[in-house]
Amino acid sequence: MGKIKRKGQTGQAKNYLTRTAAVKKLQISLPDFRKLCIWKGIYPREPRNKKKVSKSATASTTFYYTKDIQYLLHEPLLNKFREQKVLEKKISRALGRGDLSDAARFERDAARPDKTGKPRYTLNHVIRERYPTFVDALRDLDDCLSMLFLFANLPSTSAVPAKMIARCERLCMEFQHYLIVSHGLRKSFLSIKGIYYQASIQGEDILWLVPYKFNQRIVGDIDFRIMGTFVEFYMTLLGFVNYRLYTGIGLKYPPKFDQTKDDMAAELGAFAIEGVNMATDEDATKAITNGEATTKAHGVDPKVQAAVDKIVRQLKQDDSDKADEAAAEVDDEDKIDDSIDKFEPVAPGGDILPQPSSGSSDPAELFSNFTFYLSRETPRQPLEFILRAFGCKRIGWDNVLGEGSFTTDESDPSITHQIVDRPVVQPVVDPEDDGEDNQTSQKLTANQRYPGRTYVQPQWVWDSVNDEELKSPELYAPGASLPPHLSPFVQTKQGQYDPTLPLDAQETEKEALDAEIGDEGEAQSGDEEDEEEDGSDNDMDVGSANDDSEEEEADDAEGGSGDEEEGSDGEEASAALQRQAELEAEISGKPVKSKQVDAKLKSKLSARKELEKKTKEEAEDLERAKGMLSKKKRKLFEQMQYTNNKKSAEDLKLRSKRRKHEKEQAKSKA
Amino acid sequence: MAPRMVDKKRKAPAAATPEPQSDDEFQDGVFEGALSQSESDDEDFEIAVSDDDDESESDGEGSGDDNGDEDDGFLSDDIPSDDEAISKGMKDVEITEPGVDPKVEEKEDENLGYKTEKDANGGIRYVYEEIDPVYDSDDSDAQGPENTIGDIPLSFYDSYPHIGYDINGKKIMRPAAGDALQNLLDSIEVPKGWTGLTDINTGNPLNLTDEELELVRRVQMGLVPGDLHDPYPDTVEYFTGIEEKMPLSSAPEPKRRFLPSKNEAKQIMKLVRAIREGRILPYKPPEERQREEEEQEEVHFDLWQNEEAQEPNPMHIPAPKLPPPGYDLSYNPPQEYLPTKEEREEWEKTDPEEREKEYVPQKYDALRKVPAWDDLVKSRFERCMDLYLAPRVRKNRLNIDPNSLLPKLPSPSELKPFPTVTQTIFRGHVGRVRSVAIDPSGTTVASGGDDGTVRVWELLTGRQIWSVKLSSDEPVNAVRWRPTKDSFILAAAAGEDVFLMIPSHASVTPTLDQASRDILAAGFGYATNGQQHGEPGKEPAAKWARPGARLEDEGVLIRITVRSQVKVINWHRRGDHFTTVSPSGQRSSVAIHTLSKHMTQIPFRKLSGLAQTAAFHPLRPLFFVATQRTIRCYDLQKLELVKVCQPGAKWISSFDIHPGGDNLIVGSYDKRLLWHDLDLSTRPYKTMRFHSEAIRTVRYHRGGLPLFADASDDGTVQIFHGKVPSDQLENPTIVPVKMLKGHKVVNKLGVLDLDWHPREPWCVSAGADGTIRLWM
Repeated sequence: MGKIKRKGQTGQAKNYLTRTAAVKKLQISLPDFRKLCIWKGIYPREPRNKKKVSKSATASTTFYYTKDIQYLLHEPLLNKFREQKVLEKKISRALGRGDLSDAARFERDAARPDKTGKPRYTLNHVIRERYPTFVDALRDLDDCLSMLFLFANLPSTSAVPAKMIARCERLCMEFQHYLIVSHGLRKSFLSIKGIYYQASIQGEDILWLVPYKFNQRIVGDIDFRIMGTFVEFYMTLLGFVNYRLYTGIGLKYPPKFDQTKDDMAAELGAFAIEGVNMATDEDATKAITNGEATTKAHGVDPKVQAAVDKIVRQLKQDDSDKADEAAAEVDDEDKIDDSIDKFEPVAPGGDILPQPSSGSSDPAELFSNFTFYLSRETPRQPLEFILRAFGCKRIGWDNVLGEGSFTTDESDPSITHQIVDRPVVQPVVDPEDDGEDNQTSQKLTANQRYPGRTYVQPQWVWDSVNDEELKSPELYAPGASLPPHLSPFVQTKQGQYDPTLPLDAQETEKEALDAEIGDEGEAQSGDEEDEEEDGSDNDMDVGSANDDSEEEEADDAEGGSGDEEEGSDGEEASAALQRQAELEAEISGKPVKSKQVDAKLKSKLSARKELEKKTKEEAEDLERAKGMLSKKKRKLFEQMQYTNNKKSAEDLKLRSKRRKHEKEQAKSKA
Repeated sequence: MAPRMVDKKRKAPAAATPEPQSDDEFQDGVFEGALSQSESDDEDFEIAVSDDDDESESDGEGSGDDNGDEDDGFLSDDIPSDDEAISKGMKDVEITEPGVDPKVEEKEDENLGYKTEKDANGGIRYVYEEIDPVYDSDDSDAQGPENTIGDIPLSFYDSYPHIGYDINGKKIMRPAAGDALQNLLDSIEVPKGWTGLTDINTGNPLNLTDEELELVRRVQMGLVPGDLHDPYPDTVEYFTGIEEKMPLSSAPEPKRRFLPSKNEAKQIMKLVRAIREGRILPYKPPEERQREEEEQEEVHFDLWQNEEAQEPNPMHIPAPKLPPPGYDLSYNPPQEYLPTKEEREEWEKTDPEEREKEYVPQKYDALRKVPAWDDLVKSRFERCMDLYLAPRVRKNRLNIDPNSLLPKLPSPSELKPFPTVTQTIFRGHVGRVRSVAIDPSGTTVASGGDDGTVRVWELLTGRQIWSVKLSSDEPVNAVRWRPTKDSFILAAAAGEDVFLMIPSHASVTPTLDQASRDILAAGFGYATNGQQHGEPGKEPAAKWARPGARLEDEGVLIRITVRSQVKVINWHRRGDHFTTVSPSGQRSSVAIHTLSKHMTQIPFRKLSGLAQTAAFHPLRPLFFVATQRTIRCYDLQKLELVKVCQPGAKWISSFDIHPGGDNLIVGSYDKRLLWHDLDLSTRPYKTMRFHSEAIRTVRYHRGGLPLFADASDDGTVQIFHGKVPSDQLENPTIVPVKMLKGHKVVNKLGVLDLDWHPREPWCVSAGADGTIRLWM
């Protein structure tokens, strides 16, 4: 006779542990257990059969794998926790004795990461364990970056020490610097939540979210201890990842950090990237700040200027009227004043000139030949990062935006693009303004434009980056209503709604027909409304008759009359209708109208009827096939259909909204 | 004790002074006592004088002691006492040598220190005086005259002149007591240290010395009595630092003395290593150290220097990434993504936890107008919670086209002919039509319904040609034609009665009519005989009788009355037998009637479960009975159970046997249609579910077409193509071809019965809406 098997001794019951049991086994407190779980990446499991696993009657229990917990038993961190606990005990005991000096001594030994931002332990081994290869670490970087960027923008509180924030900020900056140097940034997206960035490092796509530079509101009950635990881990992770990334491209890590510049809000400019080789120190030090690189920049500058002049001359010779046209389209610049008007050939010329072959897919080249100037109202940090990551060397901004700009002088002649995010205000025209010689020397008023410079809204940068080509700046001119900013991360699936495609390309046959019929019906009714009242009467009649015929059809279908009949039935009905309409028209003494108009509509209607018939047949076929499925498969099938239908319903809604919108636009245009 | 302490104290400061001195001083007192004793012993009158001397002596001693106490280094006092002691010692010798001429002794003594005596031979014999070994220096036991009387009160000697004996057995004389006046004076003028006690050893009054008084005082004061002794004496050097000229050992110096120590080198190396590794740091004040620690950068190195790709643990489920933002999350989304007013209101109304999306798409016409998103921290926090608290489950999502799950069915148009449309609607019944049957020739349809009538209709035109009302209150539950063409007999069941009738009809020739009548009448004679043969005690299973003149005129010729309401009639293929089933009839629920003998038999004494329906096998002598759950097949010849089919349905409503005899379809009230292959298994070969309501009837086509149909309460009839191949190994093909819709659902009842045309692909169905429809 075999041994009697007891419940909870073998099988699943052995494989799982409840949280309480796990905590007991590890002999630590629940917060410590939480920390350990977060760092070691241990998460609860859902057993296949909860009843077999749980020994208690309560339904909601968290289960962990027994193996996971056993693996925690040998964790060196466990000892650190215990030591810490002992130390705390000592402190409290000393305080209880009233022995303040002792307590102070113990307190000195106690690590207070919530104050110093630095614990006594390191998480290096945990990171190595969790991510055996570097690529594994990169794969998991999404949450890490989002979290650190968020913390870098948080206000410091008692729960979030300032040191932690500073470290987060530095790590993030260092990572950004890496992306700038390696040109790893691929896409970016301005969302209502913040700015999404996507970078590609060693073939891994990393997507993270950076909040807008505002004070973050903290709502609801948020446990910053939990977040802090995550951040602690992520900081260590990003530190090592940065080290590897930097050394991978021959840079020294950590980069030189200039505290004074940072205090002046230089942000990215506070770091000086150095090569590993000390011999080539001079060259290797890449000053990210372009203040130092002025000689270089100015070296380039005259060339650009010369090229601009050349093109301008050419253009002047060639066709000034063409340029005029282009200029007229650009924005309302032509309305500004004469002095600006004179330079109009320059503006588009300057625009056309530096544009490289727009097909260049190299992200390092996209903005490499431009000099940008950021207006006061634009978000400097994301723009600076994204422009630099896509090859721009010289970015200037207003003094207000902080240290580290290439130039703070808006009138710098080397500026090719200015990013503006303010509404257009009609400036007061200065009559004595002489266009020719006041090009750059004169201080322009707030809303005046420098000729030879392209003015764009910030979205231009993002759209250009996402499409990997320079978008035409006319669409993004200041004050213009912007084209929709689309997410570059959406992978369109077959049959899914895609806002980039025209509506006709993706709507179903039925929708198209419905829409057209709707249109024409509307148009017709509009026509008829112009006519006499009888017309409307007639129209109503037609409508009702139509309804009748449909009812009949339905009846027929119910009655089981063959599908073959239906079509003919419908036709008959419509023929009858027509006859009736004719009769009525005769009685009322009106000419038989709207027949010609109807012809088109009729064909459409019949087409719709055909379509309906077809869909009905298909539905029947489906029904037949479905009946032959086994129960399991049928359930699965129905589930899949449900989700598909839901999605398609959403798409349908979007399409109908778009149609409506387009119609409105057409109307407003007309 | 006190004098010994004094000793020590004396010793301590003057280490260099020769030892015997102090001892001598001590002896000094002792000898004094002895002297006085001897004096008192010899001359009593001198006692007072000697007493005085003694006193003065003792006083002097006391003062000398005092001096010693006060200035330890000053020893001049001791020296004269020493001399005194020597002289006294001389006296002592004098006393202890009786019998010797003192003068001679003195003279000799002065000369040589020995005496000359005459020995036995007359020669001179030098007698040296005894050497005093001065044991006292070492012998602490050799104290002065000790009173040896032991522990007895001194009062015992009150009447004697002595107070005890010394160690030599000599009497210790009582010291002279002063006269009363002296005593009085003494008691008035209490000398220092007076105790009023008598020293037991000497008999003198016992006075305390100054030291002892001081000690007593300190004890009384609760002070440490040890003021007298020095708690921190200087070390006594037992060994001098002077190097000896001669070594203790002549062994040569060992080699190790000249080699550097290995052990020390080891210890030093340990320290060096610790310093190099930074384990030992130069001392810094804690504040500075703390500050430094805080400033210290985190150490970074290449963590993945020798990375090795590991197989991911199969049980490990990586956290799913957050989905990338869609179009609707843009700050400037396309117009169509913006919610309408209703949608926004609905979103705002729903609970934040139930919202499908945590945000509402919004449009800002410039980037500078975009505000911070309120829920960012919260959503990040929720993500954190998910990461460590949410159980992860791997769910296999089938990413396939759902249509690929569907079986490939041949197009129905390839499987024609089958009925598709309503050809004729037979109207006339009041209430439900419960049963319908097409006659073997295929020209007429018989039907029975709730109104208690049996009607016969022309099949194609739908004209009613015959009708009879069998019962006024009972519905007609079943009508079935006798399946042979040589007769025109219809069986109908109403209540407990089964009627056999011959409808009059234009196509019924007189010969056919007569033949039918003969068949029905044939049993009457037999029946009477048979009844006579039957056991008289038992009630017959059924009564065969003529229904009465009215019905007979109409063409109803026989009435068979069974015990309970009959629901089902099924004929044997030859037409001689038919079976009726009355589910409520307990033991007699299934009955087999023999037409030629007008006989009714009840084949089952006991049935497991309620009998639902029964049928004869189309080819072999087998009989099938369906109970709620199972279908049992009995051999009629051997009278035994052959097979039990278990379709798995909860409640079987009806079944039909394929004309080939090897397949069975079963309809059940739980909406399922089951195809059984009798040879294959007792379990269904195929289960189909086409109806949303219970299936009432299932029926095969019997005219050679591979068709079957079921009728359901949802008002539909489903036509199937069901081909049974001639090859045994092949599976039958079942294809649903058409769903016939037309009957209305009345009181949750749709189509109640169904029958196929014997040759054509037509079928008729009886509906709860009171109509019969011919489908073709």
